[in-house]
Amino acid sequence: MKKPVFLPAMLVIAALVSACSTAPRTTSLLDQTRSDFVAAQNNPNVARYAPMEMQQATVAMDQANAASNHDDSAEKIDKLAYIAKDKIALAREVTKQKEAEAEIARTNRERDHMLLDQRTNEADQAKIAAAQSQLTAQVALGEAAAAQRRTEDAQAHAAQLQAELADLSAKQTDRGLVITLGDVLFGTDQAHLNPEGMHTAQKLADVLKQNPQRTVLVEGYTDSTGTVSHNQELSERRADAVRTALQEMGVSGDRVTIHGYGPQYPVAANDTSQNRQLNRRVEIVLSDDNGKISQR
Amino acid sequence: MTKNSMQCLKALCCAAAILTAGCSSMKTPATADVAVSNAAVDNAAGAGGAEYAPAEMSSAREKVALANQALAAKDYKRAEDLANQAQADAKLAQSKADTAKAQAAANALEDDIHALRVEINRANQ
Repeated sequence: MKKPVFLPAMLVIAALVSACSTAPRTTSLLDQTRSDFVAAQNNPNVARYAPMEMQQATVAMDQANAASNHDDSAEKIDKLAYIAKDKIALAREVTKQKEAEAEIARTNRERDHMLLDQRTNEADQAKIAAAQSQLTAQVALGEAAAAQRRTEDAQAHAAQLQAELADLSAKQTDRGLVITLGDVLFGTDQAHLNPEGMHTAQKLADVLKQNPQRTVLVEGYTDSTGTVSHNQELSERRADAVRTALQEMGVSGDRVTIHGYGPQYPVAANDTSQNRQLNRRVEIVLSDDNGKISQR
Repeated sequence: MTKNSMQCLKALCCAAAILTAGCSSMKTPATADVAVSNAAVDNAAGAGGAEYAPAEMSSAREKVALANQALAAKDYKRAEDLANQAQADAKLAQSKADTAKAQAAANALEDDIHALRVEINRANQ
């Protein structure tokens, strides 16, 4: 009677005990540690930067899991889990440290790269500046050459003018270049130029056409024979005759000023006929390049 | 009789020597563990653990103190466990300090780079 009841009871107890032993004991610390471990395993940088620390953490984790599977006391499980948790945290700290060090290395490389770029940039700029200053020097050289050419042109022009005026027997005086048309170029006591006088006037007209910035002052003079009024009138008429001739030859009237001085400012004593002839004259004063003439 | 008693004494001495050796071999690991933990805590403190990982540092110090107490009370198993935990805490504290320093250096360098970039941009304008 007793045996049939005893056997099922034993079976139930055995089943309960085995169920208990197959369901591993766990603690909240162990659960927390396991989740930390999974997180560390899922972080690729942990395997890369802290493989040794992760291996030690794995050993500690295995020991805690084994204690749990063997149904050891909660105290022992927690003791092992605590160590495992610390080792997992250590692996993650080492990973963070190595990440920061990698960042430092990367930043250092970046800085070197930036400095190199900047030096290259500076060298390029210096090269450009050198090329520019060379160009500027060449331009300045060209300008100097052009200025010299202009100076030479002006000198050549002045020399040409000098030659043309020499042909007109121009004299350099205090008042500038003065050309004297002698009495022989006019008819006796007349105010018109003879052909030779016209020829001289033509040369003067040519000079004035080639030097459009210059003007002339035409001054008439006589000897002291005869009345002053007659001589004054004659000197003015002779000066005017020269102006008219120049105008006919294409020189603008406003470039020619006339003045009659009569017997004033003789160049010789009026004692001989030869000297008196010297005093009967027309003087043509040439202006400077700016058209200025100093009056008597 | 005397020969017998001499042999008996010899056997006793041997037994005592073996027992003492066994005892000391039980005691040595815990003492060594506590010593190692002490050194680990000192290293962590030297690396600035108190500043960068105060929680781990105080936990490590507390456990080293408890381990020393257990050692004094000849509870070697408990002394060993506490020493191991203290050592793990101390190592973690030291690593946290190292990480914080490396991160600070990385940030400082980042600031340098930023300043350098600003300067270069200004120079190239």
